[in-house]
Amino acid sequence: MLILHDYELSSEAYAARLMLGFLGLAHESRPVDVYPGAANEAPAFRRLSPLGRVPVLEDGGLALWDWQAILIHLAATYDESRRWLPQDPARAGAIAQWMAVGRELEDSSGLARRHLAMFVDADLPLAQERAHRLMRQMDEHLWFQEQAGQDWLVDGPHPTLADLAPFPAVMLSEEGGVDRRDYPAIRRWSERFRRTPGFVTMSGVFPAAPLG
Amino acid sequence: MQQDLRALWFPVASSGDLPLRHVYQGQLLGLEFAVWRADDGAVNVWENRCLHRGVRLSIGLNLGSELKCQYHGWRYANGDASCLYIPAHPANAPARTIRNRVYRSVERYGLIWSAIEPLAEPPVIPELETAEPLALRPMPVAAPASRVVEALRSYAARLGAEAVEPAAEVPPAGAFALRASWRRDGEVEAAAFFVQPTAARACVIRGLLLGDVAEAERVATLKAHNAALTALREEAEAADAREPDAAAAVEEAKIPLSPRVTTVAGGERAASGEAIRVRVARKWRVAADVVALRLEPISGALPPPAPGAHVDLHLPNGLVRQYSLTNGPAERDAYVVAVKREPQSRGGSAAVHDAVREGDLLAVSPPHDNFRLARGGGRHVLLAGGIGVTPLLAMAKALAATGRSFELHLFARSEEHAPFADDLGGLGASVQMHTGLDPTATGDCISAILADRADDAYVYVCGPAPMIEAAVARAEQAGWPDSAVHFEHFGNAKAVDDSTAFEVALARSAITVAIPAGRTITDVLREHGVSVPTSCEQGACGTCITTVLEGKPDHQDVFLSKAERASDACMTPCISRSLTPRLVLDL
Amino acid sequence: MTGRAPDRALVDDWHVVVDRSWLTFGQLYRTKLFGAALQISPDVDGRARVSLSATGAVLPSVERYGLVFASVGRPARDVLDIPEARESDRLIVTGGSIGVGVSGLRAVENFLDLGHLPFVHADILGDEAHTEVEDYDVARAEDGGILVTNCRFFQPVASPSASGGIMADYAYRVFRPFTVGLYKTNPKQPDRRDFIALFVQPVDEERCVAHSLLAYVEDGLTAAGVRAFMQLIFAQDKPILENHVPKRLPLDPRAETPIRADKSSIAYRRWLSELGVTYGAIPA
Repeated sequence: MLILHDYELSSEAYAARLMLGFLGLAHESRPVDVYPGAANEAPAFRRLSPLGRVPVLEDGGLALWDWQAILIHLAATYDESRRWLPQDPARAGAIAQWMAVGRELEDSSGLARRHLAMFVDADLPLAQERAHRLMRQMDEHLWFQEQAGQDWLVDGPHPTLADLAPFPAVMLSEEGGVDRRDYPAIRRWSERFRRTPGFVTMSGVFPAAPLG
Repeated sequence: MQQDLRALWFPVASSGDLPLRHVYQGQLLGLEFAVWRADDGAVNVWENRCLHRGVRLSIGLNLGSELKCQYHGWRYANGDASCLYIPAHPANAPARTIRNRVYRSVERYGLIWSAIEPLAEPPVIPELETAEPLALRPMPVAAPASRVVEALRSYAARLGAEAVEPAAEVPPAGAFALRASWRRDGEVEAAAFFVQPTAARACVIRGLLLGDVAEAERVATLKAHNAALTALREEAEAADAREPDAAAAVEEAKIPLSPRVTTVAGGERAASGEAIRVRVARKWRVAADVVALRLEPISGALPPPAPGAHVDLHLPNGLVRQYSLTNGPAERDAYVVAVKREPQSRGGSAAVHDAVREGDLLAVSPPHDNFRLARGGGRHVLLAGGIGVTPLLAMAKALAATGRSFELHLFARSEEHAPFADDLGGLGASVQMHTGLDPTATGDCISAILADRADDAYVYVCGPAPMIEAAVARAEQAGWPDSAVHFEHFGNAKAVDDSTAFEVALARSAITVAIPAGRTITDVLREHGVSVPTSCEQGACGTCITTVLEGKPDHQDVFLSKAERASDACMTPCISRSLTPRLVLDL
Repeated sequence: MTGRAPDRALVDDWHVVVDRSWLTFGQLYRTKLFGAALQISPDVDGRARVSLSATGAVLPSVERYGLVFASVGRPARDVLDIPEARESDRLIVTGGSIGVGVSGLRAVENFLDLGHLPFVHADILGDEAHTEVEDYDVARAEDGGILVTNCRFFQPVASPSASGGIMADYAYRVFRPFTVGLYKTNPKQPDRRDFIALFVQPVDEERCVAHSLLAYVEDGLTAAGVRAFMQLIFAQDKPILENHVPKRLPLDPRAETPIRADKSSIAYRRWLSELGVTYGAIPA
C-alpha cells in the first residue's frame, strides 16, 4: 500500500495528491503537523525525510522525500497509458525544463505564499518578482502553443508532468500576492488542466465550470 | 482630456480571451471587469463584484447562461446581470432590482470594446470592417498608456523596417489608438494598435495586423511582432521606473460603493420598474379567438425573462393588463405575448384585438418572474388550459433547450382553439393535445396523467380558475406534495371582502399606518412613500408577496399555496387584509 | 497600508500577536498590530517579550491558551475568559495562525456566515442539495457582544470525529470586534458542544492574522488531525476573503446586499457602528 505523508496546505504535497488522483491510486494518507507543530523537523520524521520535507511517499521499501521525485516515480511505475511521463526522447528535455520551472515557481511564488500565510522567512518583493518573470514567460509560451493548436506546455494531446509540476504554485500564486490578471493564457491553461479526469482540488483551488 | 477617458470606448479583451465557460478578468481605468461569453455567443462586461458581499465575479463559474458566484452560489443572468437565484432562500425569487452593474460592450474586429460612461456609439473603423486582421499577442505593460502610445510611434524602426508614413491616429477610435505602416521586402505592411488604459500606470497593447498573412508565415510573423512589443514593454517599464511622469498617469475612474446603480441605457428604467417602450412589430392570429403580439424595444435591450414570466402591458386606452411571455431562451430580441378575446372583457382584450395595430407604440413593464420552473427536477408536467398555454410554452422551450424531460398537455375546446399549434408541434412528442373534454373528463384525464409520481417530479398548471382548482385537488389526491404543484391564475375571480379596518406596522421603518375599509394595503402604503411592487393588483400574480412577521393575514388571493396560507408567514397586500387588529410586515 | 489611527476601544484591548509555539529562543518574530511593527521573542525565562520595532518600547503582554496577547494601549479589561479551556475532558490546542489579505472584520463576518458552507466547504460543512438557511435567532449578549443561536445546517462531515452527515446545531458568540466563538454539536456526544475561538489580529486595515483555539470534546482525536481539519476549512475561506472588493468592511447597510440569512452579519455591522469601530471598516 502506498503511504503519503501529507500536509493539507502544502502545494508540493498537492502535486503528489494530484498525481495519485490522476492515476486513480489507492493510498494511505498520514497527516504531518507541519504548521505550527513543526512535526516534520522532529527526529522520528527525519529518519524518513532527512531534510524534513513533506510530502514523503513510501512505496514498499522505497521512501522518496522530494516532490518531483515522487511525481516521476508514480508516473514511471503506475501510469500504464504512459501519458504523464511519455517515453519519447523528443519530449524528455522539454518536460524536464518545465518541471524545473515548476520547482522555481514553488521557490518563488510558493515561498511568497508561505511567507504571507504561515510566516516563513522570505524577501517578499524578490520572491514575487521572480514569480512574475517565470509566469510572464509561461504565459507567452502558452499563447503560442494555443496558436499552434496545442493545449499543453509540451506538445501532445494530453497533459504531462510538465503541466502538473507548475500547476499548484500557479493556482495558489494570488495567496503570495502574485496576481494572474496579466496572464490570460495561463488562466485558460489552468482551466483546461482542472477539467482533466481524476483532477482533485485542495483548499484554495476551485473546480472549473463544467463544459455542459 | 483626462475626464474624457470615461466616455471613450476601449478594447478590454480579445475574442480569444473568452473560450467556452471561462470568465476573463479585465480592467479599465482602475475599474475591474468580469468578462464572459454566454453559450448563445453574447458577451457580458460586468463590474467584477458580486452584489452580495463584493467577492470578485472573475473567480465565479460561467455556467453558459448564468454566472455563479463562488461565495454563496448566487446566480446572475446573461444579459442584464439580474440575480436569478439565491440558494440560501431557494423558494423565493430574488427581487428584479438585484442586478449587477453592466457596462455596454460590443464585439468587433476580434476585440471586446467597452466604456465606463459612453457618450457616443462604439467606433466603426472602416479599414477593419472589410479586413480580416490578424490579432497579435496582447502585451500588458506596467507604464502609463500615453507613454506607450508615444513609444509606438517608432514601431516601424523597432521592426528594423522603414516607416511608410508617420504613425497616425485611427479615427474614430481616438485616444490611445495608432496606425503604423512600414515597408519590408518591398511590401507595405500596417498594423493598428489599441492601447487599453487599465490603470494609472498600466495598460495593454492590443495590436491588429492589417493585410493578409500567409498561413505558413503566421506563427513566425506573430513571434516577430511579439518580440518587438516585448522590447517596447521592457523599455517603457524601465523608463517609467526611472522617472515616473506624474502628468502621464491616467486618472482612474471611481465608482460609488452602492451597487444598485446601473449604467445600461434602459437598465435604470428596468431596475426601477419603469415601463419600457416597445413597437408592435407583428400581430397575428394563433387560434380562433387569440392574437399574438411581437413587441420589439425602441432602443436598448429587453430584460431577459425567466420561463413563465409575465409583463404588464400598457394599452392605448390607458388600461394595464398582465400577459405571459412565450419566449424561449434564445428569443431575446422581442417579447411575444398572446391575448384571448374575453367575452366579459373589461376593455383590455377588446383593445388588443380591435384597436392595436402593427407599428403602434406601447409600453411594457420589466418581466415579473413569479411563476417559475423548479431548479433541477427529473420530470416536469405542464398542464395548460386554453390561453393558459402561454407561460407553459415558454417553460417547455426552456426545458427542451436544456435537454430536460417534460410533457405538456394542452386542454382546448377544439384544434382551432389551441394557440401556438405550430410552436407546440415543433416540440415533438412531449406535447399532447386533449380537445373537447368536459370538466369531469378533464379532471379524470389529469388524474391519469398525475397517477405516477416520483419525488423529483413537478406539476405546473395554468388556465381557467376551475381547471386549476381541479388540477390542484386531483394532484393532492394522487399524493403530490404542495411544494411540487405550481400554478398561475390569470385573474382572481373570487369576490373580495374589503370591509375590515386594521393597522399595519412596518418592521424595517418606524411607520404604522391605518388601513380603512375599502382601501388596499398597497395603496395606503404608497401614499406614505412605501412602494411595494405590484402587477395584477388582484392577488393572482404574486408580485407583491411580502413577509408577515406578526398578526394573522386575511388571505384573499389565489396565488399562495395551502401551506403558505396556513403558515401566515407571507401575504399579498394588494388584495389581502388582516384578521387581527394589527399586522407587522417585513418592509 | 498607511496608518489610520485605530479606535480607542480597540487600542485599549488585548489582541493576539503570535502562537506561543511559533517562538524560538534567540530568534525574533516580526509582525504588525494596527500597522505598527512589532518584534517578539522569548525571554531567558521563557516569557514572550513584545516590543515596538520603531522605539524598542515593551508592550504589555499576556500568555494564555498557548497564544500571546499584547496591547498598544491600556487594557481596561482582562483577556477573554474561555471556560471550555478549563474542562479536563477536552483536547485544547491552537489551530495554527494563518495570514489573510483582507480586513479582520471581514474574517469575523465570514466565520459567522452559514450561506457559504455548501459552496466554499462543499461536501464537508454543507452540500448543494441542502442550501437553505432556516431562520435563526440573534440577540445582544448581556455583557456586550452578540449571541447567534438556533442555527441548524446539514453537514456531510461536521467535524474531525464525524462519520456520516448530521444536522449540526450551531451557535456563535461575538465577544469583541475581532473575537468570535463557535459552539457546535459534537457528532458523537450530542449533548456536548465543541468550541472554536477565532482571535483575529488586525495587522493593518486590509490584512489580518487568524489565530484559532480549538476545544474539542476529547474522543480519540489528535492535535494533528484537529489542526488539519481547521486549516483545511480556513484555507478554503482564504482565497474568497482575499477576493473581496473592497477589502475593508462597509458599515453602511446600503453598500452591499444582505438577505434574511445574513441576520448575524447585519447585527455585527450595526454593533460595530454603535461601538464607533472604523479600523478595517468603511464607516456608514
